[in-house]
Amino acid sequence: MDELAYSSRMVDWAPLGKLLLVMCLLIVGLITESIVVPMITFVIGILLMAYSTNMKIPLILSLAIGEAILIMIIGSGMISIMGDPNEPALWEGQILWFKIHMTATSFNKAWIIFIRAIAGVTLMLSFASSTPIPHLAQAFRSLHFPSEITELIVLIYRYAFLLLERFLVMIDAAQCRLGYNGSLTAMRSYGGAMAGTFIFSMEMAEKSEAALACRNYNGYFPIYRPPRKMSVMWPIVAIGSAVVLYVFGLYSVGWIDMQQIFAPLFGW
Amino acid sequence: MMTELFRLEDVTFAHNPNVPPVMDGFSLTIEGGRRTAVLGANGAGKTTLFYTLTGVHRPQKGQVLYNGSPIDYTREGLRDLRSDVAVVLQNPDEQIFCSLVEEDVAFGPLNLGIDRDEVEARVEKALRDMRISEYARRPLQQLSGGQRKRVAIAGALAMQPKIMIMDEPTAGLDPQASMEVMELAEKLRLNGVTVLISTHDIDLVYRWADVSDVLNKGKIEFTGDADEFYSDPERVYDCGLLIPSVYGMNKDVSAVNGMDASPYPHSCSEFTAKFGRPSEVGTVYCVPVEEAEAADRYDSVMKDMRGMCTGVYGPDVRYALRERDVEFRFDAVDACFLKAVEGKDTVLFYDPIYDVSVKEQAKRLGAFGADIRTEAVR
Amino acid sequence: MSDSLLRTEKVTFSYSRKGAKVLDEMDIDIPVGKKTAILGSNGAGKSTLFSVLNALNKPASGKVYYKDAPMSYSHSGKIRMRSEVSILFQNPNEMMFKPYVEQDVAYGPENMKLPKEEVEERVQEALFAVGMEAYRKSPIMKLSYGQRKRVTLAGVLAMRPSVLIMDEPTAGLDPQMAYEVMEIAEQLNSSGVTVIMSSHDTDLVYSWADEIRVLNSSKCVYSGIPEPFYEDYQLVQKAGLLMPSVYRMNRTFANLGKCELEPYPHTQSQLSVKISDRCATDFGVMNVVKVDKDTDIPALLASEGLEGLPIGIYGMSARTARNKTEMSVDFMYNGPENCIRKCLSGEDSVLLCDPIMVDKAVSSADFINGNGYGKIDVRTV
Repeated sequence: MDELAYSSRMVDWAPLGKLLLVMCLLIVGLITESIVVPMITFVIGILLMAYSTNMKIPLILSLAIGEAILIMIIGSGMISIMGDPNEPALWEGQILWFKIHMTATSFNKAWIIFIRAIAGVTLMLSFASSTPIPHLAQAFRSLHFPSEITELIVLIYRYAFLLLERFLVMIDAAQCRLGYNGSLTAMRSYGGAMAGTFIFSMEMAEKSEAALACRNYNGYFPIYRPPRKMSVMWPIVAIGSAVVLYVFGLYSVGWIDMQQIFAPLFGW
Repeated sequence: MMTELFRLEDVTFAHNPNVPPVMDGFSLTIEGGRRTAVLGANGAGKTTLFYTLTGVHRPQKGQVLYNGSPIDYTREGLRDLRSDVAVVLQNPDEQIFCSLVEEDVAFGPLNLGIDRDEVEARVEKALRDMRISEYARRPLQQLSGGQRKRVAIAGALAMQPKIMIMDEPTAGLDPQASMEVMELAEKLRLNGVTVLISTHDIDLVYRWADVSDVLNKGKIEFTGDADEFYSDPERVYDCGLLIPSVYGMNKDVSAVNGMDASPYPHSCSEFTAKFGRPSEVGTVYCVPVEEAEAADRYDSVMKDMRGMCTGVYGPDVRYALRERDVEFRFDAVDACFLKAVEGKDTVLFYDPIYDVSVKEQAKRLGAFGADIRTEAVR
Repeated sequence: MSDSLLRTEKVTFSYSRKGAKVLDEMDIDIPVGKKTAILGSNGAGKSTLFSVLNALNKPASGKVYYKDAPMSYSHSGKIRMRSEVSILFQNPNEMMFKPYVEQDVAYGPENMKLPKEEVEERVQEALFAVGMEAYRKSPIMKLSYGQRKRVTLAGVLAMRPSVLIMDEPTAGLDPQMAYEVMEIAEQLNSSGVTVIMSSHDTDLVYSWADEIRVLNSSKCVYSGIPEPFYEDYQLVQKAGLLMPSVYRMNRTFANLGKCELEPYPHTQSQLSVKISDRCATDFGVMNVVKVDKDTDIPALLASEGLEGLPIGIYGMSARTARNKTEMSVDFMYNGPENCIRKCLSGEDSVLLCDPIMVDKAVSSADFINGNGYGKIDVRTV
């Protein structure tokens, strides 16, 4: 993920500013009743991500979004078929022991939740894919988060890669000694590799303490190329756009009725 | 020039009271400006010694004096000590803490609280000296082991220490990269930095070191001139070490030829000078040159000296002449002098700072009966 | 080519689809029963080549042949390849899967689904071969780095591979341990195993290898005996390597007219004898004494009248036998070389030798005897 973040075109944007913007858009998408607003924030999210990755959204991000959409579809589907039984049903039926009662309200509600959710996911991903962990830590620091936690995040983050590397090498080593000859053996080999990696992490922790001291560590990780500080423009733009969208949301309630759009398709 | 930097007085250190001490009554002096090698088998206490010198380990008994006064183990005291003493650990992964190359190189200087412009200049120079400028903004997990080693060394260089401690600096590096590291160590020394190296490559360190400190099972076994230490094979074996090949061959051939084993040759050129007994030696034409002018100088010098073997020494000149057709790109001083022993003339281009080392090598060869002329090319 | 055991044909491999090619149409062959060194700078593709040779990685294109049959990547094919071709990783900590020595050594054979008795026998044999019998029940965590290296080597040996690949076997080891590991490799080679190793120690490789293969930027740029490669200085330089010091010095002495260029010396004693003045008829005698692990060494030496001579040791059974007697040995490491050096100085010497290594020990005098540099009598006892 960090590789992606460092190559992002938005890496130099102030992390706090990015966070604020994303949060504002997220919140406004959640609190307005209009479906148009989350649609707009979704588009903003996609645009940000496209800009950040220079139009080359990598496979892993697309997979993440795809998976999120899949989960949302299932969730929204559930919501849409559990409408208020007192309202007229668009579709009624029974699947196994599950009673289906889809109403216009529930259908619209499901849509709005679905769009809010994917808008949220894309916005958060656009932030995550453009902000390396050290920058995030810097942002936390400027918000006066407890320093122990931020430093721990940085260290864990660094060692996670080393541990992963070591684990992969051990898996290879196990293969060389036929460690995957049969499922029981494979399980045992995985166990062995896990244990080995764990021991390695203990050794590493011990050694890195001394190594940190040698390099004059005094309790926090300085940052060589600090990300830009948040300028006044950031809160103005973030809050401003949130307000505009909110007002627009009030005005645009009911602009798009999903039920009517889909009606011809299903003959409602 | 010889100043006493560190003095250990009867230093004993154990990781905890229930295990035997890793350092058991160490008394040792480390002098400034000398190439110091620390030798010993795995587990002899080398790394512990290094950590003691940087104040990470505080001895239970005895004391460590730095510049004549005991190490001050307060926060400020340690900061001052560690801004003078930098360590490169054997395994680069242990000492790399940041995710980007340049971030990590800047880590030490930033911790020292040096101002930003200075840090930037240092980082840039360290990256260039280790030839990793092109990786500056790459995440570390994309780099190979050898590249990470370079990052670790660059990180120590950027601290601009007075004392540079390198634990196995050449382990895992290919032969040419090892030579580069040794060149760098020499450059540091010429810049007034005291360099301590521990390594298992006895041949390499035999050639390089002025002083050898040998550790054995938690004790200082020997300190002084390596030739004296190797004259007692049993002691060498007992320390888990072996005799360097040049030393062994010198002893054998001297014995068979009925010659005196002294003077002891330490490098290929010295060995061949001693036993080849050249009737006629060549000249080494010396061209100390700054990086910016190196390419032009090379072209103009080689116009007059067509067909001669050439060598480059030093990271800057090597980089400047990367496009030129140079015979000896690595270990060039020894290679050029070896050619001179054969009676051939060579041209040696080097960073001006190495002038002293080149002259020193010529003088050493004189002791073996090869009066090789070094002539500065105008 | 019937003498090649492993062969790759235009093998191309990269770790990710768009990533750089780590192996690029590489052709390489490994001769059977020999000691082959793979050389190359950092990142030349050595480790990746190893992983292709034992079917750990499947090449994107090209073929790998084992005993002239193309490698199969079916489950059983991979299992077969990996039990034939074993890799010893550089860092022993990456190969430890079990908490106790004997369990870890048994890990490979157990995975081969061998019967219990056979596993037991192999563990026993492998631990003996690396001289770690006494540590059978020890927890691995308590062992030193060098000891762990030997345990992992035993773990690989217990699978009785036909090919042993060692990735930087001496890295991080102190000089004595490095020689021990090299001696074990030598012993395996004597018992018929094809040994491949990669190393950055130019001098060590030069004294050890029969054949070298040089990799440079994902291709194999040289295969054959070492000398023609080192003759081409440009190529050496481009490959990120340096010339071995024995080779360099020999060439200088030859240019000075001190000796002929050929035969090329590979060890210190060989170079020493080439350049020393004395036309020697008064070299000492090297007594090569075959020692089983149950031999009573002092008694044997006494009966042969060889007491009081400098003693070298070579091979595992000799080491085991000597450990039982606690007698002192002059050369614990690099035995044959050191004994020859003693002989050069005119003294007799004794080499306690594993029966399987006798031929190797005897042949170490060939360079001197066969090229007219003098005569070292070798007496096998």
